[in-house]
Amino acid sequence: MNCDKILDLFRSELVTVNVGPRLFATALEKQGYAAIQVDWKPAAGGDAEMIEILELLGGLD
Amino acid sequence: MTVFANIQKGRYMDSLETLFAASLLNEQEGVSLGFVGMATPAFQKELEQAGMLTEEIRQCTGSDTVVAAQCRDQAAFDAALAALNSHSTADAPRQTEESFVSTRAAVEKHPEANLCSIAVPGEYALSEVRKALNLGLHCVVFSNNVPLEDERAMKELAREKGLLCMGPDCGVANINGAALVLSSINNRGPFGICGASGTGIQHVAAILHEAGTGVSQTIGTGGNDLKDQVGGITMLMGIDALEADPETRYIALISRKPGQKVLDKILDRVRRCRKPVVALLMGCERQVVESAGAVWAENLDDCALKCLELVGIRYPLATEEQLAQLAQEQVGKLSKGQKYLRGLYSGGTYMDEAAGALVPRVGRVWSNCPLDLAWKLEDSYCSRENSCVDYGEEEFTLGRPHPAIDPSIRKPAILREAADPEVAVMLLDFILTPPGHPDPAGYLLEDIRLAQQMAENEGRHIIFIASVLGTTADLQDLRQQQQKLEQAGVIVCQTNYRAAVLAGAIIRLKKERDADEL
Amino acid sequence: MTIQQRVDAANQKVAQMLTQGRPVWVDVQPAGQVIPGMTSHTILVPGPPIEIGRITPPIRTSVCGAVIHEGLAQTPAQAWEMVERGEILIRSSQDYGAANAACMVTSASMPVIVVEDKTYGGRGYAPLHPGPNPKCLRWGLYDEEVEQDLRWFRDVYGPALGQAVRLAGGIDVITVLAKTAGMGDENHNRQPAASMYLALQLIPWLLQIQSPKKDRVITHLAANDRFFLHVMMAGVESITQSCKQVPLSTVMVGMGGNGVEFGIQMAGTGNRWYTTQAPKIQGTFLKAGITEADIVGYLGDSCVTEVYGLGGMSAIAGPAYMRLTGSDYAEARSRTQKARTVSLAEHTFAPVPWENYAGFPVGVDARKVVGCNVLPISHGGSALRAGGQAGAGAAELPLECFKEALRGIAAQARRIQAEEEAK
Repeated sequence: MNCDKILDLFRSELVTVNVGPRLFATALEKQGYAAIQVDWKPAAGGDAEMIEILELLGGLD
Repeated sequence: MTVFANIQKGRYMDSLETLFAASLLNEQEGVSLGFVGMATPAFQKELEQAGMLTEEIRQCTGSDTVVAAQCRDQAAFDAALAALNSHSTADAPRQTEESFVSTRAAVEKHPEANLCSIAVPGEYALSEVRKALNLGLHCVVFSNNVPLEDERAMKELAREKGLLCMGPDCGVANINGAALVLSSINNRGPFGICGASGTGIQHVAAILHEAGTGVSQTIGTGGNDLKDQVGGITMLMGIDALEADPETRYIALISRKPGQKVLDKILDRVRRCRKPVVALLMGCERQVVESAGAVWAENLDDCALKCLELVGIRYPLATEEQLAQLAQEQVGKLSKGQKYLRGLYSGGTYMDEAAGALVPRVGRVWSNCPLDLAWKLEDSYCSRENSCVDYGEEEFTLGRPHPAIDPSIRKPAILREAADPEVAVMLLDFILTPPGHPDPAGYLLEDIRLAQQMAENEGRHIIFIASVLGTTADLQDLRQQQQKLEQAGVIVCQTNYRAAVLAGAIIRLKKERDADEL
Repeated sequence: MTIQQRVDAANQKVAQMLTQGRPVWVDVQPAGQVIPGMTSHTILVPGPPIEIGRITPPIRTSVCGAVIHEGLAQTPAQAWEMVERGEILIRSSQDYGAANAACMVTSASMPVIVVEDKTYGGRGYAPLHPGPNPKCLRWGLYDEEVEQDLRWFRDVYGPALGQAVRLAGGIDVITVLAKTAGMGDENHNRQPAASMYLALQLIPWLLQIQSPKKDRVITHLAANDRFFLHVMMAGVESITQSCKQVPLSTVMVGMGGNGVEFGIQMAGTGNRWYTTQAPKIQGTFLKAGITEADIVGYLGDSCVTEVYGLGGMSAIAGPAYMRLTGSDYAEARSRTQKARTVSLAEHTFAPVPWENYAGFPVGVDARKVVGCNVLPISHGGSALRAGGQAGAGAAELPLECFKEALRGIAAQARRIQAEEEAK
């Protein structure tokens, strides 16, 4: 398998997007690593009708 | 009620400021009606209508700030003024913590991002991982309860894109020196670890750290990666990557028993690997592992020791004999009716490892997830005979964080178990990780002391045995945590396995002595 | 093209209109002469359409005042009877390319600001801002004094401003925003800089007009640091007139409250409203003793500024306003961040220095609001049930409007699909 992208990761400065509890982002920052927080919420609040509409119209981010 | 006024000649306040101050003023105790404003004619008219336009205020102009209030007394007015002033000085703009609503938005602003750590409910994991992978991010996925077909889908997408997908259900990964999710902080070193057991990786890496070496990268695959339905995609990619990584000189693989198809693939890959491999594939025959050219490891401690042998480091772990000796010393402290052990675990891997060590020594071990289904506790809050309870199980953690983060789930069990006069030994594990509790040992010390006190008041002594998983580089510091426990009279073993062996030895010895006495 | 691609393309088109539209204030004229479809008996009111019986008290006062002002009735009671009999046509301003802030209503003889979008050709309208006197029709108050003011606006102030603007050859709204970038206006509830700059542009021309009262006109204009708001509202309307012609677009191009319901309009479905119960403005009350029970729900069209990316959308541009709402700088940043999340484009002509010179977001995509579950925030003033301004603050735009809007666009999409399949 081509490992270029993984080796790129190993060679780069780690910058983590943290999707979920901020605790994990804070933990990385405490260690001196950059973390970018995403305050995750379920798409359309989990509303099935809206998810169906968004699948039609697009826009599920 | 009297009207009090404070006039600041020539002090300008923006109308927004005065409105804000007025609303604050009216919230103060003892103030029944208050106004803050520049003493413009309009403001004076307003005060006049409220019957609060004093002669002093009438003399003011539009460039003077007036605070006027109907107050209980001067003291109340002074206090209210102080509140207004403190608010205007203390309220310097505070830095906001940046956050985003989606990975896309985060990456748009921070195109340098290269990894996505995902901890969302399992049903949403696939969708979040897809977004991250499509944005070119490697993923570490802490989410559990992810359907196997979702796991396979996200890993196939990752493979197609040449990106790492660690997890779902990945608790441990160390990338470029960073301890992700619930990992420990480790020194960098020549060992690349790829494993389907978070605790297993953390355990081996911690011993490597304490022995003076370290890890290049550790890749947690998630517990289900080596099931046939998932196909070991991450494990195979991990081996490829570690083999290609110039920093990695040795590879350690850790997993519970893989599916048969996956096992064949893994062994085939190991056979072709150009770097030395130490493999702990639980439940696999030694000769199968060795036939693939790997160094066979029996258990987690052994896996760490076999790694250390490759770099010529001798790291002495307590031997069976030493533990038996310690058991001899301890067993005498127990009184007549004490005969059972209770294990209070914060992780499943450690509880299984302990149970595996205990059963040959003490017989059946009851549990909420026992080795043998016949030994299942009816009620996880009601131990019997020899019992071990995993407080990381879903029944305890549903809607709550993992016990390594929030140890309060396990806390009440200490006094509860200690109150049982038949209890002789209590076994505890502690896990150190950056997002974890800042002082997990300290958090339980008071309960341990109380439990011991209670037992001693009744003429008993309880033997507390613990192990701490972590390193001296961890924010909680392994050494400090161990010392705290030791100072409270807890016997701290180097590893979980050794703690269980000691506990088992004590219980068996006690049983023999009780039998002898009869 | 898939539906999704077509929605994306439609949205891009609307986003381009919002960013490339060039609103220029060109005139002031009586509403009845310039607003298409306006009759002598039409009264334009803020927010989505509402049944007569549910009209909120301050709007009722304003409507009656307007009817009397037009000479159609002598007393409020008479005026209201005419309304109830259907002799007065109560219409939503935004369906006419007009916007009425707070409790303001527009009748035929009232002077309105005329703004023309020089890029796409649309025209938008709004009455003149009344000035700092809190007693005005705009806040649902009407008596003889207010009537005198309305007449002065109609007979002197409006025509004078119209002359000046025509002499000036129009005043470019974008230039005002660009010149006052970084001056602390969020341009919905706070616009002293923009109003000042606008006055600077206008005063030389006011000095040249033929008007017996031009010194009073200038004094009145110069005393009003909120004057620009209504110009801006007309400007937004001039652009959204074109946006409303783009089927399938999920970009919000209209919004407002009538005190009972709050509604939004989608570019894809033009003047169709998607409504829900009006939220109440959360913030600070102007006077002690006012409680939430005293105020009506979200009221007014001034939030069309948010359609254009101003107000709550660019809260960070005017952090001083946050103090009034009992809030702070961090919240200002968060509001703009939310707006960025749900917006499709960015205005680049007015960069915010303390946001690293970022522009402000524009073009709220209902798909993003629902999908990301992030509600944009509008600033606004609140009205007392009894008339008069209660306070100022902000409100989250209700999610239900956006869900309803997506249902509307999805139905349109399915209809288009079915029609094409039939061919």
